Amino acid sequence: MTWLVRSAMCALYPRAGDLPGLEDCDLDGFLERFHREAPLRMSLGVFLGALVFHLTPLFTVFVPLPAFLLPPPLLDRHASRIAGSGSYWVRQAIFLVKFPAGLCWGAHPDVRRRFALGAYPADPADWRTR
Amino acid sequence: MPHVSFGERRFEDDVDYVVVGSGAGGAAAAVVLARAGAKVALVEAGAWREPEHYPSSAYGAMRDLMDDWGASVTLGRALWPVVQARTMGGTTVVNSAIAIRTPADLFSQWEREHGVGGDGLRERVWAAQEVLERELCVEEVPPASRGRSNELAMKGAEAMGMESHWIRRYAKGCAGTGQCLQGCRKQKKQSTNVVWVPEVLARGGLVLSCAPVTRVVLEGTRAVGVEGRFVHPATREQGASFLVRARKAVVVAASVTHSPVLLMRSGVKRRALGRFFRAHPGTGVFGVYDAPVDQNVGATQGWASTQYRERPGLKLETLSIPLELVASRFAGGGTELMKRLGQYRHVAMWCHAVRAESTGTVSPGPFGGAPVVRYTLDADDMERFREGLHLLAKMHFAAGARAVIPGVAGLPFELGQKDVDRLREGPTDPRHYIAVLTHLFGGCVMGADPDRSVVDGEGRVHGYQGLVVADASVIPTNLGVNPQHTIMALARLNAEALLARA
Ligand SMILES: Cc1cc2nc3c(=O)[nH]c(=O)nc-3n(C[C@H](O)[C@H](O)[C@H](O)COP(=O)(O)OP(=O)(O)OC[C@H]3O[C@@H](n4cnc5c(N)ncnc54)[C@H](O)[C@@H]3O)c2cc1C
Ligand code: SF4
Repeated sequence: MTWLVRSAMCALYPRAGDLPGLEDCDLDGFLERFHREAPLRMSLGVFLGALVFHLTPLFTVFVPLPAFLLPPPLLDRHASRIAGSGSYWVRQAIFLVKFPAGLCWGAHPDVRRRFALGAYPADPADWRTR
Repeated sequence: MPHVSFGERRFEDDVDYVVVGSGAGGAAAAVVLARAGAKVALVEAGAWREPEHYPSSAYGAMRDLMDDWGASVTLGRALWPVVQARTMGGTTVVNSAIAIRTPADLFSQWEREHGVGGDGLRERVWAAQEVLERELCVEEVPPASRGRSNELAMKGAEAMGMESHWIRRYAKGCAGTGQCLQGCRKQKKQSTNVVWVPEVLARGGLVLSCAPVTRVVLEGTRAVGVEGRFVHPATREQGASFLVRARKAVVVAASVTHSPVLLMRSGVKRRALGRFFRAHPGTGVFGVYDAPVDQNVGATQGWASTQYRERPGLKLETLSIPLELVASRFAGGGTELMKRLGQYRHVAMWCHAVRAESTGTVSPGPFGGAPVVRYTLDADDMERFREGLHLLAKMHFAAGARAVIPGVAGLPFELGQKDVDRLREGPTDPRHYIAVLTHLFGGCVMGADPDRSVVDGEGRVHGYQGLVVADASVIPTNLGVNPQHTIMALARLNAEALLARA
């Protein structure tokens, strides 16, 4: 399940020039944390979104293969077309994948450095008990 | 034991007043009651996080501060996020602390259409707001903290001859970190968890955190307390149960979505409960500038215009959102998306809040889940919505942008100046837009007619005793301006009315 989500996310946010892609952003660590911490229905939503991503190349690049079997140039074209689909529900499904992926990518220190933003300190995840 | 958090042992206590929810309305009411010497219990569903506990990342903010991880959406023609906080201090922790006095026309509208407010409400609300402004240190965003996005907005507005202003906020010496949505770690923002909740404690009050109330306990038609079960803020596991009895009254201030649902689940029967939900849906337009804007440097929101509040019904503001959110907000995928994101330093996001007339409903979710909001903008509101985007885009060009990114499905990703009017003729189907609902109203609206309202002009639930509502859910119309100043003032007045009757 995780590899399906992972590959959809990496295809949506690939490395480009000097801009790190998701594969450079400790995505595995992020996904492990996300699946552990987020409500189950959010994890399920991301999985469903990833399924939509992988099962639709026939409608975008007209190839009867799942996205994870596409060669890189076709995969990139698929990522672009599916994210801009004319169907509201398809766009929403892809958004379910893009949203957590963006949370991971935009918080990574290498990405932030590229945009002259300081690295985030670790989120304390603490609260007052007395 | 004045502060009780997640626990494994059942907790019970008796107080004069129980206040459910510690956000804008709840904390404002609780502090008034506590200052009068009453024993107050403030019962909050979320955890109590001090500024040093706030997250920095948007992921952390979703996890630690937002209600339902920020994943609640409207059920309607389009799925638009309904954003609220679930933490001590409520949505005041994650908002931009913009303070605007209640516009005069609303009081006559409330009197005319809802039969409330004829008793000098306007003067009382404004007097309360004057006090709030002193207490919460309202000030204009300092020049050194404005940042380029806010300054460009002022430039664009001036070039268009638009009336506008630097925003006044409950923030003392804003340091311009652009982190309001993740909580102010610099302790500049005067959210209720840092000002009033500690005061309630210091005055001998009781504060329960991680304590979602599941039911207001009723004896006949009298509210006598609240009960629920502690929930662990990290694991979401349930802990022990709690019961807090109220000798005098229960004040419900759990927000527009939670207050009506809590009352329904408690067995309160009012025909208007959960109805007349309203909002100011809004979205942003990015301007693309040749020189870097670095929108995350400077106050999250520093510039605004209320010129279009009456016609067509819009408020315009700057809003810098974190890089993590821009990453999914930009359309597209693959290298095309990465190229778009590559210009992040050069974009400034300005947004509108639509004074929408459409109404919706709030009802309990299935299996005790999150409240369900049913809401769709009608054609008139969608025209206002479109007009707002057009205005924002024109402002960007007036400020020197080379292009705008409107975020409208079906239109090009970027529009140049010559194409700006395409926004005015853009689609009116909500599905083409990415909007967010942050200003919410209704669900327990106030009014004189018990068939068309839930509470009277002092927040008392019609037909019940000792049961008061004191949050945004009582507001019967949209406001056309940011709501927190109005919510706090009304909550204070409702608490004062309770004391006067005691
Ligand atoms: C991102 C964002 C930015 C905003 N910026 C501004 C701004 O700059 N200026 C402005 O005027 N307005 C702003 N707003 C709106 C404003 O913050 C809200 O309108 C206001 O806080 C609502 O007040 P409230 O008391 O009704 O609810 P809230 O402040 O949301 O408080 C409700 C509280 O009740 C708690 N609760 C819910 N259910 C239960 C339960 N069952 N038991 C116990 N507790 C419960 C919640 O956890 C929460 O703490 C913004 C909103 C958002 C989301
Ligand atoms: S911009 Fe930064 S310093 Fe200013 S109030 Fe917001 S979080 Fe605090």
